[in-house]
Amino acid sequence: MRTETPASATAEEERGAEQARRPAPPATPSTAPPPGTARRRARRETLAGYLFLSPWCVGILLLTLGPMLVSLYLAFTDYNLFDSPRWVGLENFSEMFSDDRWWQSVRVTAVFVLVATPLKLAVALGVAMLLARPRKGQGFYRSAFYAPSLIGASVSVGIVWRALFQDEAIVDRSLSLFGWSGGGWIGDPDWSMPTLVALSVWQFGAPMVIFLAGLKQVPRELYEAAEVDGAGAWRRFRSITLPMISPVIFFNLLLEIIHSFQIFTSALVIAGPGGGRAGGPGDSLLVYTWYLYEQGFANLRMGYASAMAWMLLAGIAVVTAVLFWSQRRWVHYEEGGR
Amino acid sequence: MSSRRSGVKGLRAMGAGLVALGLLASGCGGGSDSGDGKVTIRYSWWGAQDRADLINKTIDLFEKEHPDIEVKTDFQEYGDFWTKFNTQAAGGNPPDVFQNSYAFLRKYGQKNLLLDLNTQVKAGNLDLDDFRQGLGKAGEIDGKLLGVPVGANTFTLVYDVKAFEEAGVTPEHGWTWDDFDEAVEKIGGSKDDFWGASNNGGVMYLYDLYLRQQGKAFFTEDGLGFTEADLKKWWGDYRKKTEEGLLVPAKQAEQVKPKSEVSAGLSAAEFTWDNFLVRYTSETDRELALAPIPTTDGERTGQYLSSLMLSASARTEHPEEVARFIDFMVNDPEVGKIMGYNRGVLPTNAQFEAYEPQGPDAMIAEYEKSVTEYLEPITPHPAGTDTVEAAFLSIYGSVAQGTTSVDDAVAQFFDEAKTALGS
Repeated sequence: MRTETPASATAEEERGAEQARRPAPPATPSTAPPPGTARRRARRETLAGYLFLSPWCVGILLLTLGPMLVSLYLAFTDYNLFDSPRWVGLENFSEMFSDDRWWQSVRVTAVFVLVATPLKLAVALGVAMLLARPRKGQGFYRSAFYAPSLIGASVSVGIVWRALFQDEAIVDRSLSLFGWSGGGWIGDPDWSMPTLVALSVWQFGAPMVIFLAGLKQVPRELYEAAEVDGAGAWRRFRSITLPMISPVIFFNLLLEIIHSFQIFTSALVIAGPGGGRAGGPGDSLLVYTWYLYEQGFANLRMGYASAMAWMLLAGIAVVTAVLFWSQRRWVHYEEGGR
Repeated sequence: MSSRRSGVKGLRAMGAGLVALGLLASGCGGGSDSGDGKVTIRYSWWGAQDRADLINKTIDLFEKEHPDIEVKTDFQEYGDFWTKFNTQAAGGNPPDVFQNSYAFLRKYGQKNLLLDLNTQVKAGNLDLDDFRQGLGKAGEIDGKLLGVPVGANTFTLVYDVKAFEEAGVTPEHGWTWDDFDEAVEKIGGSKDDFWGASNNGGVMYLYDLYLRQQGKAFFTEDGLGFTEADLKKWWGDYRKKTEEGLLVPAKQAEQVKPKSEVSAGLSAAEFTWDNFLVRYTSETDRELALAPIPTTDGERTGQYLSSLMLSASARTEHPEEVARFIDFMVNDPEVGKIMGYNRGVLPTNAQFEAYEPQGPDAMIAEYEKSVTEYLEPITPHPAGTDTVEAAFLSIYGSVAQGTTSVDDAVAQFFDEAKTALGS
């Protein structure tokens, strides 16, 4: 709080400050502001609030809500971007179930979500625990580990990754020192997915930072008490750390799963330019959003692409709902909070 | 900012894109006249920096001679080009003039996106009289002139001269597929990590030639011109050769992309368009040359001239200026000198004679001259050709990788082709 009013303060500010200092029941009604002023000021504040909110409101109406509705409409049409949309009912949705490549994209995305998410969270938690203890150069290490996730979604990192894992590039050559000569990763349908997962896991910085914050919240006394009782490191981790940070784990899990569902850029860059067709070798990297993009913008089937987008939304909604339902069993919130 | 987004938000962004398109489509073409009476036209093409440098030079030349017209340019890689073009066109704001190819003429012609240049020819703004080998009408579909060729190319075999010499094989017109296979076998047996030929079973244009040698064709007016049994034989043979180790393994080929297998030093021979020799030679130290396509009967190669074209948008506000621009680009001898055979052999006599080809360009000119008498007319490419081509390449990819059986792959291809061709 300011104690002195600087010279630059406006008269209004001064009046406001004076009013704030005044006790609740006005002692002398004659010096109180007229009854309308407070209301007028409140109205003005409301107006200002809306004014500041308006860019966001316009944005959500024009750029989010409207487009969503249009996309919902398009999902039930045959629309090639040029001729006007033709209503086809549920045809797009029923076509999906007989579309082999759609199933392939679902499979690829599911595998990615199921493998990459837990791995990434495990690495993030592990590194967070290492970095939680005070040590020299802590700031440096934290930023160093966080950096990949800042730049990770970018095209340039994808290109670097591709260069690393190409045939006879550095990864391939280092492994051949140990007698493993696979002859490349990206070009091999069996190994392209692990390459993509590795890239995703490497970007563990964001969940790590959140884990760090969570770990700081665990009361030291619990560990001290457990140590007195003779609990080993693993036992302390299982019985104290994990339950205490379970809300953080839940939060990270939710975000990361949703994030994984939407993988796009890194798959695109790793699998290389497809000449109008996505998927990498043998469609082994045909992630969902990418197939959607191909249908919409390369094959000019915007109706089908819209239907795919809504199926993805439904899928994510179901997974999220299941997660929320399951949290009763494993997420522990402290009673009352602190 | 964080790199994570909530699921809903991501989808919304996607939806937003869709509607932004919708909004644009509802009408904002946008005028492009600057105040001083100067007309601005937009020109986009696909390619890389080397082509961009050449094209910018030709535009400087054009603007000097037509001070009333300003040309704004834009280029992307092939795949990205069409994505951007589709988005712009859907928004009612396509470039006034753009690079096009035969495979796309019907697709966009049917949607009335392309300007019929015949009216401009009649008005005297575009001169087609000087074109070589009837190329002037190459872009005419159903009586409408939808594109004008800026270069002509035909299919060929790019081969490694030394490897073929060592194997004692001289590829010459009339050699057969058996001769070719024999050469591949000899070369492939001689060295490790070097194969007789690239794995070209997924190249639609090559299969087209093979079909044409038997009196069929890849496309007919309204669909595919071959049966599932035909394709099973073609892919089956390629699969067998792959398993026998005669062709570059798919994994290796995938790794060296975007380089070709020949220029990456993996393979001794590769089927492709002849103007690609320019790029291939710049990527390798090996001595490369062009050979005719092997035949079935010792005579017919099935070859035809194809071309990159310039097309104009039906929505352009300056059809006359666009026509003058195209006219300049195909008829001006100086432009021919600058472009060389970057987009194929120059289309008009004036340009062809003005340019003296050197190095790979000379080989391309020589090759096209040598096959002139065997050239046949081009067969139709229906709307959806681009999607079919991509599917053919990609599905064969999983056959070559060994992840899909030939029968499954053929079934999948016919399925996808049917959707793409709308039949």
